[in-house]
Amino acid sequence: MLQLKHIDVSYGSFKALNNISMTVNSGELVVLLGANGAGKTSLFNMISGLVRPTAGECEFEGRRLDGLKPSAVVAAGVVQCAEGRKLFPQMSVAQNLMLGAYVHRRDKQGNRRHLQEMYELFPILEEKKDQPAGSLSGGQQQMVAIGRAMMGRPRLLMLDEPSLGLAPLVVRQMFATISQINRLGTTVLLAEQNAFAALKIAHRAYVMENGQLVMEGDRETMLGNEEVRKAYIGA
Amino acid sequence: MNLFLQQIMNGLTLGSIYGLVALGLTLVYGILHIPNFAHGALYMVGAFMSYFLMVDVGVHYWFAMAGSAAIVAVLAIICERLVFHPLRHSPPIHDKIAAIGILLFLEAVVQMFWGADFRRMSSPFTGILNFDGLIIPEQRLLIIIGALTLVAGLQIFLRKTMTGATIIAMAQNREGAFLVGIDANRVAMMTFGISGALAAIAATLYAPINLVYPAMGHLVIMKAFVIIILGGMGSIPGAIVGGMIIGFAEAFGGFYISTAYKDIIAFGLLVVILSIRPQGLFAKGAH
Ligand SMILES: Nc1ncnc2c1ncn2[C@@H]1O[C@H](COP(=O)(O)OP(=O)(O)OP(=O)(O)O)[C@@H](O)[C@H]1O
Ligand SMILES: [Mg+2]
Repeated sequence: MLQLKHIDVSYGSFKALNNISMTVNSGELVVLLGANGAGKTSLFNMISGLVRPTAGECEFEGRRLDGLKPSAVVAAGVVQCAEGRKLFPQMSVAQNLMLGAYVHRRDKQGNRRHLQEMYELFPILEEKKDQPAGSLSGGQQQMVAIGRAMMGRPRLLMLDEPSLGLAPLVVRQMFATISQINRLGTTVLLAEQNAFAALKIAHRAYVMENGQLVMEGDRETMLGNEEVRKAYIGA
Repeated sequence: MNLFLQQIMNGLTLGSIYGLVALGLTLVYGILHIPNFAHGALYMVGAFMSYFLMVDVGVHYWFAMAGSAAIVAVLAIICERLVFHPLRHSPPIHDKIAAIGILLFLEAVVQMFWGADFRRMSSPFTGILNFDGLIIPEQRLLIIIGALTLVAGLQIFLRKTMTGATIIAMAQNREGAFLVGIDANRVAMMTFGISGALAAIAATLYAPINLVYPAMGHLVIMKAFVIIILGGMGSIPGAIVGGMIIGFAEAFGGFYISTAYKDIIAFGLLVVILSIRPQGLFAKGAH
């Protein structure tokens, strides 16, 4: 479904991504592990069209994504739920969610139905739908961010460190929800540092270090791998 | 008492015009972070376009206003495409220099066609309403009602429509806006178009009780900058309230102190308010 071939990304003279090749198949939940500064966000932003690759190709459903504008990438079916959430803080929860459906704005009925689905997935958001998104707790804001991304009707949903800064209990619920979204049919690419929790819901994982992919494997292989355990699970 | 009410009326008139001009300026600043010094020139071109349409083409005041709004909106969009868009990755100082370039260019072009003379533009609303001694010229009433209608219309557009929401979204979180698929170019052009149309309408409303000449935008743009600094850069309510504050200060200051000093009052107020609230009255997230 998503295929990256020999992708490089540079910021000025600094090479943030080096020869990245990876695949995400339809229906999968793939985890991208990596420490701070490994290049996870850079990879997502490259796919979303926010930064241009300096080399390589990025294909989605057989179609080139690199070179497209961010709005065209969303329209193509790849939506990112960004690190730090990037909500519209003074707008209401409902407005945030509806803006997520911006590329489908002509299909008003479909959007209302999706909004209802999001409220079923996150009942608390329906309660808070008229409050400014910025006034919600961190966990609730993360729900708005995921809900907003889902309103874009992604076939591939990219989640960048959704557990960042959340309490352990909230993190557990968050991963359960992500797993549920995947089971309902959305392919997920999940960047995380919280390796154990992420691997538990994943089909496959990649490990990124200093802008390069250094390891790849399915859940069992990764959970059983000595280096992964040492570096990311701490056991 | 009547003299006092008269000053309120004058304050409302001035405040309405200043508010409309400042609104366009603050929108462009809040969303695109461009301090558009050329905004005063757009205002001036708006007045000349209405003058041209009324005097030379011979259309009615309302059509002249609509035509001028459309022409200046397109002109503002052209400025965005041709000048500010290519500069989007440059340091902010380039925007400022370019804006001053546009200002000088537009003034020179207008001067080439119409000369530097002061001109009068009449409107069909020359009547005077007399409410028990309180004298209200029709044009002033039109200014106030016009400004109110535009501000209300703009609010409805920004708050209630999806297209308007994209503008607000871009101001509140630029990257977030890209990630939901909002097109930056569309929002940039829309913002410039709206700001240009507002400037042209303000100029067309004000011209009949003022004069039309190539340098007419100078003082207006300076005050509009004072207003958006006062109100908080990028804040919509700030632009409206700030416009009213300056309008009232000028009306009352001009009457009770001296008309000779009325233009200084705006800047004096700026100094006073910023020393109490350095972030402006309605400061918000925009940098
Ligand atoms: N806009 C930028 N300009 C210059 N360097 C950047 C930029 N964005 C990221 N970098 C650098 O690129 C490298 C990868 O950053 P990136 O944000 O992609 O990592 P990450 O894996 O997402 O880290 P984190 O877990 O902290 O979010 C880092 O060294 C970072 O300093
Ligand atoms: Mg990151």
